[in-house]
Amino acid sequence: MQITCPVPLDALARFMPMHLLLDRDERVISVGPTLERVLGDVDLGSARFQDLFEVRSPGGTSTVAEMLDRSADRFRLVVRNEARVGLRGLAMPVAGGDQVLINLSFGIDLVTAVRDFALTDADFAPTELAMELLYLAEANAAVTRELRGLNLRLEGARMAAEEEALTDPLTGLRNRRAADLFLERLCSADAPFGLLHMDLDYFKTVNDTLGHAAGDFVLERVGCILRDQIRAEDCAARIGGDEFVVIVSGRSNAAVLMTVAERIIARVSSPIDFNGSECKVSASVGIVRSVDMTKPDRTRVSAAADRALYAAKHAGRSRAVLLPAPLE
Amino acid sequence: MIPTFRATGWMGSDMDALLLRSLQGYVRDTFGQARWQAVCRRTGLSVETFEPMLRYATGTADRVAHCAAEVLGRPVETIWEDMGTYLVTNPGQEGVRRLLRFGGTGFADFLHSLEDMPGRARLAMPDLNVPELTLTESGPDHYTIRCRSGVRGIPRVLVGILTAMADDYGSLCLIDAAEDDCISVRVLDSLHAAGRRFDLARPEG
Repeated sequence: MQITCPVPLDALARFMPMHLLLDRDERVISVGPTLERVLGDVDLGSARFQDLFEVRSPGGTSTVAEMLDRSADRFRLVVRNEARVGLRGLAMPVAGGDQVLINLSFGIDLVTAVRDFALTDADFAPTELAMELLYLAEANAAVTRELRGLNLRLEGARMAAEEEALTDPLTGLRNRRAADLFLERLCSADAPFGLLHMDLDYFKTVNDTLGHAAGDFVLERVGCILRDQIRAEDCAARIGGDEFVVIVSGRSNAAVLMTVAERIIARVSSPIDFNGSECKVSASVGIVRSVDMTKPDRTRVSAAADRALYAAKHAGRSRAVLLPAPLE
Repeated sequence: MIPTFRATGWMGSDMDALLLRSLQGYVRDTFGQARWQAVCRRTGLSVETFEPMLRYATGTADRVAHCAAEVLGRPVETIWEDMGTYLVTNPGQEGVRRLLRFGGTGFADFLHSLEDMPGRARLAMPDLNVPELTLTESGPDHYTIRCRSGVRGIPRVLVGILTAMADDYGSLCLIDAAEDDCISVRVLDSLHAAGRRFDLARPEG
């Protein structure tokens, strides 16, 4: 029994809005409405398949007959107009070989095609997954946007937490951990630096006579003084009760380091007014330089700085001592 | 600051997270930052910002909504409904409306697509635990939607969303919360007004 397909052309257009029905000469008998929009202003009455499309695969073919000869019923095309939209499709001989029915789809170019041709859901058959693909593209963009936002906020929080972990809350200077990290980085980079280890003199007296609030006030003042004296690439830290460290990166000139130390001592030594009471402290500073050590590392530098500070205290207060003493 | 300890990593509820973020946006945009801070203080949680991509203990969203009801002096049901409408109509949330509009060409078509919602949501976020929706046509132009979710406020949020979407499609409807997490939708006039324009192509930017 011969079974024929009773699909009229208008029904074909509904089922396959991107179909193409060609005659023996590969001229257009019928074209789906969506495909017609993609083809644009072209005279479909006279055009043949190869005038409308460039075959991308199978390679070396340009007509439907050639494609079918290669037994390639699936193929990829590009429309020969400015839009150059990519299509993929399937072709089958119908009507006893007198005609060829082709059905096309945008594939992954769908999102671009929808924008370029202002397509609506009426341009797609309800059986197609076009809406789902568009939906997915938007949902995916929304999720990515949220994740990016979350990452930015987390990064901000992480940086704030890290900053907090490296800061001395009282003075706003770096803390011991930050100073250690800074020193380690300079040592491992083999970069020259000078280190000032400072200890306040008479600080205990201020604490004992004027109270801890006065002591804290003095420490805050010293914090301001140190911040004023350093450049952005240096590091000033409070590493203990009244112990401070200033790391001057890139400087190993003895005279420069001594000048920095003496300026700090002079400013710390000027009386500080706390609620009408005068707080008098001073500072001793031990100075070491990376260039004086064969292989500076954190432990060695710290130990040398301790010795220099001890020497400064021993030499009488309000002094800076650089060890080993530079050759005059 | 990021809610470091209230978010529960990958345990807990993702729907709570999405609702908390929406509630935060709704209360802040509608009543101002100060009212939102008052809501957060009332919850006893130590955070003021909820992250949509994190997870929170199940029940957190309902709890925060109750505090919002107390602070704003209106029933919690109203808050959830208004928040649902806000999600669709607020220009800053255009994405939500667009994702919903992909559901159908008309309001009825859209209603039928609600049952696909869990599947659609899973396309974008495979582990998202969206509420299960069942649509029944109770009569001509009369639908009943049953909504099953771990968050008590969800059916009310859906009422708000449906009301706004009916408007978006230009349909005149009566949408009411019924008992047992059911929502009744009566379409009085499906071509009542011109709906808002919807382009398939996503606007640039």
